[in-house]
Amino acid sequence: MATSVGGSAGATAPAVPVHRNPPSRPGMSQRQHQLLTRGLWSLSILGASLLLLYPFVWLVSASLKPRSQVFDNSLVPNPFAPENYVTVWKAAPLVTWMVNSVVVGLVAAIAVTVSSAVVAFGFAYFRFRWRGPMFALVLGTMMLPGAVTMVPTYLIWDRLGLASTQVPLWAGNLFGSAFYIFLLRQFFLTLPRDLFEAALIDGASYPRLFRSIALPLAKPALVIVFVFELRASWTDLVKPLIYLRDPALYTIPRGLKAVIDQFGKGGESQWEIVLAASVLTTLPMIVLFFLGQRHFVEGIATTGRGGA
Amino acid sequence: MGRSRSRSVVGAGTALTAVTLAACGGVGGGGGGSDQAASSSGGKVTISTMGFGLPDEIATVRVKTYENSAKGGPVKITEGGFDEQQFLAAVASGNPPDAVHLDRAKVGTYAARGAIVPMDDCIAKSGIDMSQYRKPGVQQVTLDGKVYAIPEFYGMRLLISDDAVVKKAGLTTKQVASGDWDTITMVNDKMTQGSGRNLKVIGYDPRIPETLPLWAAANGGQMLSADGKTASLGDPKVVEALTFTTNLVKRAGKYSEFKATREGVDFFGKDNQYATDTVGAMPIDDFYLNVLADVSPKAGFTVSPILDRQGKQINYSGGSSWAIPKGAKHPEEACEFAKVMTAADTWVAAAKARAEALRAEGGYYLGTNTGNKVADERIRTEVFKPTGVPALDNGAKVLQQAQDSAVTLPATYAGSEFEKAYTDAVTRVLEGSQTPAQALKQAQGEAQKALDAAAKSRQ
Amino acid sequence: MTAPAASGPPPTSVPVATSARAGSRRARGWGGAGRGQREGRWALAFLSPWVIGFVVFTAGPMVASLVLSFTDYDLVNSPRLVGTQNYHDLVSDPRLLTSMRNTVIYTVLHVPLAMLLALGLALVLNRLARGQGFFRTLVYLPVMTPPVAIGAMFLLLLNGRSGLVNEVLSWVGITGPAWTTDPAWIKPGLVLMSLWTIGGTAVIYLAALKDVPVQLHEAATLDGANAWQRFRNVTLPMISGTIYFTLIVNTIASLQTFSEVYTMYFGNAATASSSGDAALMYAVYLFQQAFQFLHMGYASAMAWLLFLIILLITVVQVRVARRRVYYEGG
Repeated sequence: MATSVGGSAGATAPAVPVHRNPPSRPGMSQRQHQLLTRGLWSLSILGASLLLLYPFVWLVSASLKPRSQVFDNSLVPNPFAPENYVTVWKAAPLVTWMVNSVVVGLVAAIAVTVSSAVVAFGFAYFRFRWRGPMFALVLGTMMLPGAVTMVPTYLIWDRLGLASTQVPLWAGNLFGSAFYIFLLRQFFLTLPRDLFEAALIDGASYPRLFRSIALPLAKPALVIVFVFELRASWTDLVKPLIYLRDPALYTIPRGLKAVIDQFGKGGESQWEIVLAASVLTTLPMIVLFFLGQRHFVEGIATTGRGGA
Repeated sequence: MGRSRSRSVVGAGTALTAVTLAACGGVGGGGGGSDQAASSSGGKVTISTMGFGLPDEIATVRVKTYENSAKGGPVKITEGGFDEQQFLAAVASGNPPDAVHLDRAKVGTYAARGAIVPMDDCIAKSGIDMSQYRKPGVQQVTLDGKVYAIPEFYGMRLLISDDAVVKKAGLTTKQVASGDWDTITMVNDKMTQGSGRNLKVIGYDPRIPETLPLWAAANGGQMLSADGKTASLGDPKVVEALTFTTNLVKRAGKYSEFKATREGVDFFGKDNQYATDTVGAMPIDDFYLNVLADVSPKAGFTVSPILDRQGKQINYSGGSSWAIPKGAKHPEEACEFAKVMTAADTWVAAAKARAEALRAEGGYYLGTNTGNKVADERIRTEVFKPTGVPALDNGAKVLQQAQDSAVTLPATYAGSEFEKAYTDAVTRVLEGSQTPAQALKQAQGEAQKALDAAAKSRQ
Repeated sequence: MTAPAASGPPPTSVPVATSARAGSRRARGWGGAGRGQREGRWALAFLSPWVIGFVVFTAGPMVASLVLSFTDYDLVNSPRLVGTQNYHDLVSDPRLLTSMRNTVIYTVLHVPLAMLLALGLALVLNRLARGQGFFRTLVYLPVMTPPVAIGAMFLLLLNGRSGLVNEVLSWVGITGPAWTTDPAWIKPGLVLMSLWTIGGTAVIYLAALKDVPVQLHEAATLDGANAWQRFRNVTLPMISGTIYFTLIVNTIASLQTFSEVYTMYFGNAATASSSGDAALMYAVYLFQQAFQFLHMGYASAMAWLLFLIILLITVVQVRVARRRVYYEGG
């Protein structure tokens, strides 16, 4: 983790709620009070961690149980059944699907991050006549349930001759997405205008304002957009299922769906397979998130704002 | 911030399926014209399917049989269950699969809209012998006198009772398996232990709402006219069946507690209700016998036939079928495919392979229930062998005998809404918000309205 | 480079407002007459990706669904105009009312709770001295877990008889309800489940918190502000733009909630048959009408009704938020 992070967080962190409080309880030294608060603090963090962690541990554990014990509530698989993973692995060309998912996910996430940032900057910075109504229109696209636009959208791709390809999975992202435009706009709005003013006076162009000032300063938000979209694309089932017809083009969720339907027959769900598949799908995302999350913090700090 | 795009990785619910249109060659769909030419040459046309999977030998062997048959050709199957969204999007775009595999209960709805086409011509041309299929199966896929699909599997219900619970209540299996409703009420009373929050053993679980058609039939009632156009949910016999079954549940206390107890059981696991002796008896889907054979064959249970109030065997059947979507590029080949997939020889070959595979891994083969009478008969004599586990052999025998007694709901214009109407009625009674008569009266109104609307828009 | 934090605006006037009014106020006073035109062209250039996407891919389907809402359309045959029939039917559809009530209850419970908890989590994360990376991953972990697994697991955890949640409650002497089967408790159960996946919102808050200049806190501390005062007067105004965003977006998403509910109560035959309508959310009912009952026309009318409701709620939220900001700033 970057030192600047530790620095900025540390400045306010450990001492926090206690430090500046006047000693509120008579008969208790400030040090005792501090210890108590710190204890409570650690305890609540521990509690929250357990709550957040439990279901995932359950998932991993259940995926390692034989079918007859998947739902037995115990967190230690006994007997241990790693063969669930072998079954999933053997049943499917996971590597092909993984490569497809990575490609589609990366293209989708990069496309939506760049395009949404451009559009969001347009809304946040410029002042023009139809700005209010246009932004309302952007928000409006979020308000109509997707179920009723799905078929018309499918027909458009079909007319374009692209309905059975991977293109519909990411091409829509080239034009920005309302949720991310809104999110990024909020971040751009917090940037002081003085910055842009000064650059404009120095003769910078608008694209340069965007590239050299807005983008670097909004890095945490950009990382969020990227991570959110990568996850959304990585886990999306509906689009791949409606569009993809060739197994060679499948993404992981689409492929696993086929595997799982294959194992769940006659109303009998083979949960151990479902869960093993779930873990396999989730793990790459977790690793990626763990590696990428530090950018949430580094953004501002390394561009000299927070840490200055 | 979970918007619906993240619907699920593996999406238990909306089973979605693939089609692999060979015609489209994967990339850049839409085409298929060139294959039309190929089909006339009598050569190997590749057909595509939707809604079908290849879980075991029963599926793989049958597909192979078609592929290797004289008129057959390659089949592009991408595995997975039927999904409405995908099927309808494909049909709407005019680029559907050649054959679709779907629940017979849905056939009427799609047939009424023209999403699947009548198969009578192709049945005649391909020489499909409809008399080999069981009547209820054919009835479910026949709308306005036209056949819209070829019946495939044939699911039924079995009454499975728990030996220990029966014995503890001082009863015999024969009493528990009675068709007499007073007797069932009595055995339910005796076998139930505790109630509400402290419900320990569910005595006789009628498995409503999904079994309401079975109970209504056992009472001689009718929920829907034979042409599928008129609902009769208010039929006194149906009301009586609902009253009887909901009272069985009420014996256990509040419905929410009853259901929590039922759902708290590890249904598919080794701690299922028969292994833990927490249910007396219930009419359950026949596939559950395979589950028990797999996870707890020695749990101490007995399979009995389900009897109507006159003491005659009765059953309720459902299952899958093969249909041809509107706009399919190769309807003739699809018809041939449906024919081969459901032919007696094919079924027997598949059952043999399945039985061998199961026996090789030390499992028990208990039979395969098809919609084809001839196939069932041959599977019973040529493939089935006693397993040596009395409870399972008895179960297999009961299942074989049950096949002829099944009834079903006829095909209807608005299958999903009809089912929803009576299902909701049952729930309202169980939750105590309506009496059976009130609930079914309301359901009748809802169902008939949906049926009429569908009939109107069909014209 | 300028250090904006040092010369930055006083915290309370942070541009939270999204209104054109606030924008024009900010923009006032700089740029001459020629600049306006130049700006306009550049604005269009920046917005062009969205405009193109809207015209090509979004507007068509939206208009199509609006037109379809005045038809009887089963997705197979051509739509047939029926005038305002679908909208008339909406009024007298009891299940529509039920689904609307369920959705409103869910939203009213979910949105504030999710935002509060997410903010709490983000504050905790922001102050952690060690293990930030680990905890951030932990918070986001549930979001990455596939909904199908979450649904299955929560049916197990929330079971009234054998579920872990009720077992824990019983340790402190509380007899837990039948979360998954009692109509009165199904919605609270769903909210409980939804709170597990607030990691997305928490991560957004975290990024916003990182944006709050440390110097402001230090200055406030020197002025004698305690932790609460610093939170109230420095942190909260600085992240209010983000809070505003999450309020609007979470409300919209919540009113359209579908995946988890569908997976848990409608997705498979075992649970679908007997959960009644206690878990029937608006988007679930819409889906049923569209793809199961083949009433795409009616479903489109439902979608546009929901659109109007969401629009109304969002307008109210925008107004209220704007006023709040003005009060704080005043």
